[in-house]
Amino acid sequence: MARSLKKGPYIDFRLSNKVDAMNEGGKKTVIKTWSRRSMISPEFVGHTFAVHNGNKFIPVYVTENMVGHKFGEFAPTRTYKGHINKKDKGKR
Amino acid sequence: MRIDQCFELGYITKRHGLDGSVNAVLDTDDPSVYIDLEAVFLEHGGSLVPYIVEDIRMKGDQAIFTFEGVESPEDADALKGVKLFLPLDILPDLGEGKFYYHEIVGFRMQDRQHGDFGTVTTVYDNDKQPLIAVDCNGKEVLVPMADDILLKVDKEAKVIETQLPEGLLEVYTED
Repeated sequence: MARSLKKGPYIDFRLSNKVDAMNEGGKKTVIKTWSRRSMISPEFVGHTFAVHNGNKFIPVYVTENMVGHKFGEFAPTRTYKGHINKKDKGKR
Repeated sequence: MRIDQCFELGYITKRHGLDGSVNAVLDTDDPSVYIDLEAVFLEHGGSLVPYIVEDIRMKGDQAIFTFEGVESPEDADALKGVKLFLPLDILPDLGEGKFYYHEIVGFRMQDRQHGDFGTVTTVYDNDKQPLIAVDCNGKEVLVPMADDILLKVDKEAKVIETQLPEGLLEVYTED
């Protein structure tokens, strides 16, 4: 069941406090977080978060199209499958 | 044709129907580019065998191939899990500032603040946000692939200029 709209999105208050403080000071330091369940709010855009995946921190640079998703979606908990093979994939 | 002269196009997932056709996942940014393929290489025991493509139909990031000489469901079943390869020569040049992930392995990373901080070991291609893995004095540093962070990719000098967010290196280097 989806979360009630009445409650609004869940965002860890310590996390949002840190981002608010940075936005006021104009700083953009990497923020470590264990709160994978927090939703990405529009204020987070442009900040980089180090999201813990249970083993290590995965950097997540927040862009506009991530808003509304949860941090955990961007920090996989399973071991990566190597992608060193040559592929038709790249940054265009 | 050797594997190191080719790139991996995808792999065969299962047979399709009873006429020997197979389903394949194309692991590429734009599968529609390959709609006119005439032949592909299939990996058999470490070597590449050319297969003539009789027909190809696209379905999103998947394709249904009909190969010449593969006409029964049993033949198609035997190809399950086999990787598809194409020669590197047919990859179009992406131009200045753009790169294929495999091209940047071994490049030096130079940050505006920290200077030279390591060598690219691989690219973790997760769908949400690709990450560049950098060997920094024996420790793995992950750098998100974002335009604000990667400033310039110099293919000739094999250097990537970055502007890392403040504190990112310290996340990995401090114990």
